[in-house]
Amino acid sequence: MALAATLIVFLVAHFVPVDPIQTQLGDLASSKPEIVARYRAHWGLDKPLWEQYLIFLQKLSRGDLGQSIATRRPVLDDIKQYAPASFELATVAIILAFSIGIPLGVLAAIKRDSWLDHLARGVSLVGVSAPTFWLAFIALALFYGGLEIAPSPGRLDAGAPPPPHLTGLYLIDSLVGGDFHTLASAFAHLLLPSIVLAATTTGVITRTTRVSMLETLDQEYIRTARAKGLRERGVLFRHALRNALIPIFTLGGVAYAQLLSGAVMTETIFAFPGMGRYAFQSAVVLDFPAISGITLLVGLTYLLVNLVVDLSYAVIDPRVVRR
Amino acid sequence: MNRSDLIRRVRSATTLVGRLTLLLCVLWWSPAAAGAKTVLVLGTDISDTNSLDPQRQFVYSAPITEHAVYETLITMTPGDYKDVKPLLATKWETVENGAALVFHLRPNVKFVTGNPLTADDVKFTFERLKYLKDDASALAENIARVDVIDPLTAKVVLVDKAQPLLPFLIAPNFGIVDSKVVRAQGGLNTPDADKNDKATAFLDQRSVGTGPYTLTRWARSTEIELVRNPNYWRQPAGFERVLIRHIPDSATQVLQLKRGDIDAALNLTFDQLSSLRGTSGINVVKGQSLDFMYIAFTSSAALSQPLSNKLARQAVMHAIDYDGIIKGLIGGDAIRPASFIPVGLGGSTTDLTREIGYRQDLDKARALLAQAGYPNGFSFDLSYGSGADVGGVSYEVVAQKVQADLARVKVQANLKPMEQGNLRTAYRKGDLAATITFWNPDALDPSLWADPTVQRVAKRVRWEPDPAILELGKQAAGEPNPQKRDAMYVQFQKLLVDQANLCVLFQPVYSHAIRDSITGYQVTAAGWQVDLYDVKPR
Repeated sequence: MALAATLIVFLVAHFVPVDPIQTQLGDLASSKPEIVARYRAHWGLDKPLWEQYLIFLQKLSRGDLGQSIATRRPVLDDIKQYAPASFELATVAIILAFSIGIPLGVLAAIKRDSWLDHLARGVSLVGVSAPTFWLAFIALALFYGGLEIAPSPGRLDAGAPPPPHLTGLYLIDSLVGGDFHTLASAFAHLLLPSIVLAATTTGVITRTTRVSMLETLDQEYIRTARAKGLRERGVLFRHALRNALIPIFTLGGVAYAQLLSGAVMTETIFAFPGMGRYAFQSAVVLDFPAISGITLLVGLTYLLVNLVVDLSYAVIDPRVVRR
Repeated sequence: MNRSDLIRRVRSATTLVGRLTLLLCVLWWSPAAAGAKTVLVLGTDISDTNSLDPQRQFVYSAPITEHAVYETLITMTPGDYKDVKPLLATKWETVENGAALVFHLRPNVKFVTGNPLTADDVKFTFERLKYLKDDASALAENIARVDVIDPLTAKVVLVDKAQPLLPFLIAPNFGIVDSKVVRAQGGLNTPDADKNDKATAFLDQRSVGTGPYTLTRWARSTEIELVRNPNYWRQPAGFERVLIRHIPDSATQVLQLKRGDIDAALNLTFDQLSSLRGTSGINVVKGQSLDFMYIAFTSSAALSQPLSNKLARQAVMHAIDYDGIIKGLIGGDAIRPASFIPVGLGGSTTDLTREIGYRQDLDKARALLAQAGYPNGFSFDLSYGSGADVGGVSYEVVAQKVQADLARVKVQANLKPMEQGNLRTAYRKGDLAATITFWNPDALDPSLWADPTVQRVAKRVRWEPDPAILELGKQAAGEPNPQKRDAMYVQFQKLLVDQANLCVLFQPVYSHAIRDSITGYQVTAAGWQVDLYDVKPR
């Protein structure tokens, strides 16, 4: 499925009327046929479309995603550099979104039409509708520029060396290396962009949780549980929430995969070198190898996340396994 | 596990996460050691930097680094882009009736590696640049070969003695590398270098030049770290370390500058610079650029019947409010050349613009339209890149202003925003009726503006230049007498003005905002934005 996605993206990208050589070469060099010919040959752009894709597949079978036209290094090296930053950012963001969104949604459902419900709906509406670039800048201006309690943009402070590379995830690498100052710095730098990135997802999860809980609380078996004299907490968390969680997890899975490669504005404003900006810049200059590599990665991520979500259904609702 | 166990565990985990977060915050807030300013931090967008190999890089942001770690034989100082100054070469002369130049190298100069600078390094550098056949190799096209006369003398033999060489040699791509180290890392200066040179991966992480700083780390789209070169031949550089931080968003650069986390912000818009004026501890440093924004009008009747008429193009150029663009949109931080040679080169001055250039004259525009057979105006498509700007003003805003100006003489410009790559491809193929775009130099010789106008840019606007203007451009490029050369380029510009295919709108002044903790910061148009050697702690 991920390969099919690369084929579609590959074909679509080649039908766009942009010449990657013209976007990469300077004005003078682009007028020199010898230099243009060398560029086309180097990136295989002088070959027919089917042959270019075949070469991509051949290289892929050896674990090689080719060389990026824009960055001039293997796409896999680019992904190894940018993906961990996005992974950290998206993971913290999705944890925040679930941690805030689910309790808020449950509270809103329990206290339906109360001030708490209106507040939760208002908060989630702001989260969903506020443009990310605006929210990112306001958060940075307030907490970094105004109150001076947030660290400077970036993954670490200026000049701070990254922890020795193990996974590329600064939190993990610094923890494994016992470098707690870098761990603290990486965490502090991650917090504000994660909150901004989590805002939209939190809003969606809050609303979905509320609706899902309201539907579940209307079910016969909930009335039965209450009639049996179960404590309200048990009814809510053991019987209602577990059933309400399935659509929330489905939604969360899709949102997480999107956060991994779609955080362009947050990454730009917080100077966070992640996959979102890399994908955007590759698309702008029609960097075919990079675009294909990113598509493959995003496709695989979606598949993996969906698999995890599907497996989680069995934990949340054992009836899924029995069916 | 029963429900109460589950709740207990969730509570414990929540408490643990909370305590860990608190601990990390306390660790992060530990006060940093105070001391004298030893680190210079620049905030800029370095996402285009795709190599720090001096013979390969050919993007906008990389030359700041390259100029700080590699030195060229000759250089130019900010504001003076006519007279070349000695750097690694103390003197030079033309020999063999202009077919070659001999450079005498400065003695006792060492690379950061400890090896002495010799003529072998010059030969290796220039020939490697030529034979890599990469983007920057076009600059070395006029070099046939380099002969080593003695360890401190190199002779550069030209392909065409009528074409200038010196202005090209100031480009950071001619930064001299330690040939012994680069060879050991797989570098080549032979014709097969384009296929077999292997030194770039090394040069992307370590510099081997004679500059005041040396490259120690480059984390792509994150940070470039330079440290002071202990072997530098002049007074040591002002800072122990320089950090060039990747901050793609200009508003973020403003916040970081105000907080003091960066010492200079390089990519601010006109509005942001205006808001910083008067801010305590922050100064704005300006430097006249040699870049400009221009409109290219086609001569092709297939693309636009009216624009194929020279009188109609002249009418359009007379309808544009150039002063309004400069004062209203850029706050006066720009000048304007008469045509395609920027003010500061080739005899181009603001006086010349006043003398021969277009200025808004609506009556004349209407008269020309009537003469061209369009008394009721006409319409055409005006294309420009969306989401990009020059000198702090976007193409979009300029396009809207031009549209409003032309409407006053009943000429309708239909605005066509395009993605930049799309625009560049279509423009270079000559498929657009009118295009607002941008020109910045590959090196600093007027021929690099004049030649394209009658060659590749002429093709883009479907203009077939008269042989007389082609010959004039060729003669001017090879003219050794500066006064005669300038006079020829003035004549060249007059012909371009009459032809009316290229309408230069403004030549911006570039501004960087800096903190007052640093001094000696000068913005240059020579290609590397700022010479980091000149910058010192205050």
